[in-house]
This record gives sequence, C-alpha cells and structure tokens, in this order.
Amino acid sequence: MIRILIVDDHPAMRTGLTAVLRAEPGLVPLDAAASAGDLWPTLNRTKPDVIVLDYHLPGDDGLVLCRRIKRQVPSPAVLLYSAYADASLTIPARLAGVDGLVSKAAPASEIYDAVRRVARGERVLPAISRELLDSAGEKLAPDELPILGMTLEDTPLAEMAATLGVKPNEIAHRIDRMIKRLKVEVPAPARSS
Amino acid sequence: MTLLLMTRLLAAGVAVILLVVHRVTPHDPELIALTIVYTAGSLGVLTLVPRLQLSLAAWLVDSVAALALVVASEDWRSPFYILMVTTLILPATGLPFRRALVWGVAFALAYLGVAVYTEVDADTLESTIRLETIATHLMVPLVVVLALAYAADVLERLRGERLRAERLAVESERQRIAWELHDSAKQRVHAAHLVLSALHGQVSGDQGELVAHALAELRAAGADMDTSVAELRTPLEGRSVERLLGERAAELAPVSEAQISVRGSLGELPAHIAAHVYRIGAEALTNAVRHGAAQHVDVVLARNRSSASIEVCDDGRGLPPIRRPGSNGLRSMRARADTIGASLSIGPGAGGRGTRVSLSLPTAPDERS
Repeated sequence: MIRILIVDDHPAMRTGLTAVLRAEPGLVPLDAAASAGDLWPTLNRTKPDVIVLDYHLPGDDGLVLCRRIKRQVPSPAVLLYSAYADASLTIPARLAGVDGLVSKAAPASEIYDAVRRVARGERVLPAISRELLDSAGEKLAPDELPILGMTLEDTPLAEMAATLGVKPNEIAHRIDRMIKRLKVEVPAPARSS
Repeated sequence: MTLLLMTRLLAAGVAVILLVVHRVTPHDPELIALTIVYTAGSLGVLTLVPRLQLSLAAWLVDSVAALALVVASEDWRSPFYILMVTTLILPATGLPFRRALVWGVAFALAYLGVAVYTEVDADTLESTIRLETIATHLMVPLVVVLALAYAADVLERLRGERLRAERLAVESERQRIAWELHDSAKQRVHAAHLVLSALHGQVSGDQGELVAHALAELRAAGADMDTSVAELRTPLEGRSVERLLGERAAELAPVSEAQISVRGSLGELPAHIAAHVYRIGAEALTNAVRHGAAQHVDVVLARNRSSASIEVCDDGRGLPPIRRPGSNGLRSMRARADTIGASLSIGPGAGGRGTRVSLSLPTAPDERS
C-alpha cells in the first residue's frame, strides 16, 4: 500500500487526481492540499510515502517546496506534476531532489507507474542530455558547476561540503540559487489594474 | 482645415469690404475679383486634395500668392494682411514646434521685406505710428504660429498617449485571457483527461473506443488551448510560418552546434491553422536541436494546389526507443495535428539515420499561386 498526499492549487485537479489514485488498487490518497500553507500540517499528520506535487503553485513553486520537504527526515518521495513537464525541467528538478516528473497531460496509467516506481526508491526523470547540461552550464557560475556535477552523481551534502571546503549550509544556499536561475519560467498572470 | 476655412473666408470678407469702402488702388475691382477667385480656389483645392494640406510646396505657393496680393495693394498696411496671416495656419499645425517657429520668423522677415519695398516717405509723427504698426504686423504672425504650433503639439501628444493606453489595455487583456485559459480551463481539461484515462483499458469493445475517442478529443482541446495561450502571449500577428521558423532557428543557433536551414514557403494559411503549424514545426526543430545531437537540421516547407507540408529532418541520434518520462512535446504535436486535420509522421530519417518529422495538411488552393 502506497500512501499519497496531493498538492495542487486547482480544485478540479485535486478531486480528479484523488479519484483516479483511489481507483487504483494499492494506492491510497490520504488528503489533498491546495497550497504550501495547507501542506505542512497535513504532512506532519499523515506521513505519506509519496507526494504528488504541482509545479506551479501560488507563492513558492513546486521546486522550492520540494527542497523543504526533502529537508525532513525521513522524507517522502516527491513526484513533480506539471503542465510544463519537459526535459528542460529535469536539471532543476534533480537539484531540488525531485524523484519523478510527470506531465499533467499524461494518462492515469503513467501516473500509477510513476507513483509505484518513486515509492520503490527509483527515479522517474528524463535522461540528462549533453545539450541540456551545456545549456544549464551557461546559466551557472563556474564555481557552481562542481555542485551540479556532484548532485547529479548523488553525492551527499556533507561530502560535497567537505570536498569543496565550505559549510553544508552554504552549499544548500547555493543550490537554492542555482534552482532559481535554472527553473522554467511560468508566465505570470497579468497584473489586475 | 476647418480653422483655415473659417479664418480665410473672414479675411477675404474683410479685404473685399476694405477695398469697397476705401479706395486703395486704381485697380480695386480687379483686386476684389482676384481675392474672391483666390480664396475660393485655394480652399477648394486644399479640401479636394487633403494631401496638399501637409505639402511644403502648397504652403509656399499659398504664402507667395498672398504676399503678391499685398504687393499689388501697393502698401504694407494692406487689406490683405489678415488673408496673409491665414497662410500660417497649415504650416503652424503641420510642422514640429521648432520648424513652425522658423516658418513664422521667415514669414515676418518676408513681410518686413514687402514693407520696406512698398514704403512711401512721410513725416516724423507718422513714422513713429508707422513703426508701431509694422511691429504689430510682424508680431502677429509669430503669436499666431506659436499658439497654433503649441496646440497642435499638445493634441499630437495626447493622441499618442491614447494610442499607447489602448495598446496597453489590449495587451493586458490578452495576458488575462491567456492566464484564465491556462490556469483554469486547461486545468479542468487535464483533470477530465486524467479521470477518463483511468477508465481506458478497463472498458473494452465499443465502449472502449468511445473512451479512446473522448480522450483524443480532450488531448486536442488541451493542444488547442496551448496554441491559443501561446498565440495570446506572443501572437504570430500575420507573420508567415517560414519567417517565424527562421527566427526560431536563429534563436537556437547560438546554443547548438547544428547547422540549421529553413527553406521554402507555405503561402497564405488561415491564422489559427498557421499558429498550430508553426508550433508543430517549432517543436520539431527544437527537439532536433536539443535532444537529437544533430549536425544538420533541414526544415523544408512546401505548398502545392491542394496541400501544404513541412518536413524537419536531422542527422542526429534519432528517436529514443522508449519515450522520455514527462516528455510532452510529441504528444502535443500529435494533438495539434489532429486539431487541424493534418497528418503527422515521426520516424527515422533517410537510411535509418536521425529523425524525420513530416506534417502534411490539406488546404484550399493558395490564392497567390
């Protein structure tokens, strides 16, 4: 049995996803949160195995939220669920500690599969191509490249800090900055006048 | 022009009355006839050919003609003075502020010339009065030009401001619609697609086909919305597909080692079809450059009597045997092709190398060919 928490700001998506996950044997949706604010109390109460997390949320986006979720010990697996799920999201997703990436246009079977795999500890992310790495490299500072490299090789934070001779906190800060620079821009709504 | 019409008729009236009441020259009747003919003629021509209202040559002809009337009246204290001042209206409202001032000064100098030319000797007291009168005669054109040029300048600026405000309003409205489409309607379509897709595979036979059909429709609706959102955010604005693909290629060129060429033309397409075709072509091009590790990417567009086609070929590593998880691009290309009734084929390129994406859509005959 895999216990799942859903985070999506859109009510239709929350109810749809809950119904679809409930219909699949072995998957148990526990609750659905509409925002980062709703997430924390629910997370502490339910202790899910997998969080299905919308990328685009009001306030902090899915990547920022994922960073914070992953700071918890033990942390649930995070499946990023996005309308913008293309390969260019892969590197920022890896940096944020995302375990899987699924498009909102994908059929239910793909989500079932992804949920099961991340719950087993697998990664469901597109392979990172040379081109993707090159274009990410152009957006980052030279001293950030080793952090990217070690993250992609799953080096633990403490080891990274030891190798680079800086405090783990400093590394975490840098990773936050790197994510901010690399993430896919979601167009903002027009300011109401 | 209304201002010119009114003041010139008034000025001509004043000139005619002065000529009738005072004997000014020995040839007053001819001058009256000339005034009427010139006033009617100049106003008629300027009204019928509005282009001339902004023509430097027309302004010059008008000024010289009025000046000639002043000279013909043999004294600079002429019944034609006001008529002469009306020739300033068009240049003062048509020229930028500084040039209008230059025109006004030139006018005053020309009038001074006429005054010197037509001056007759007289005694000292008269000279003083005369000096004052000539000063007034020279100042009036400057005041007229200043006032008109200032007013015209303010009007022009107001018009510009209003245009800008309208453009901004349209722009923010587009962004708002795009946002609502994306944030609300599309989320519901995604949700409906997701729920229905859970049924797929559980029902079989005719009902299974119905579900598959509904799923395809929902995917197409999603793709339609994507295109509308993209079109609302960065509209094609009537630019051709080949030009936009060329621009996309130029954007991609600096971040890739591939040589990209875009050839051929699709001719005229209805706007929403062109939008879908462009987004399919752009996605294929981007995939080839980003994921295909290609050395060459060729985009060929063609149009004949009954169909239009785009082919994007690269010599890269080809399609991955298993779809990349989370990849949305191919799915949305197919859904877009469905929406516009085009056929899309994606497969290995010639000789099994690279990738070949080809889109073909039936069209009405191109009006240009």
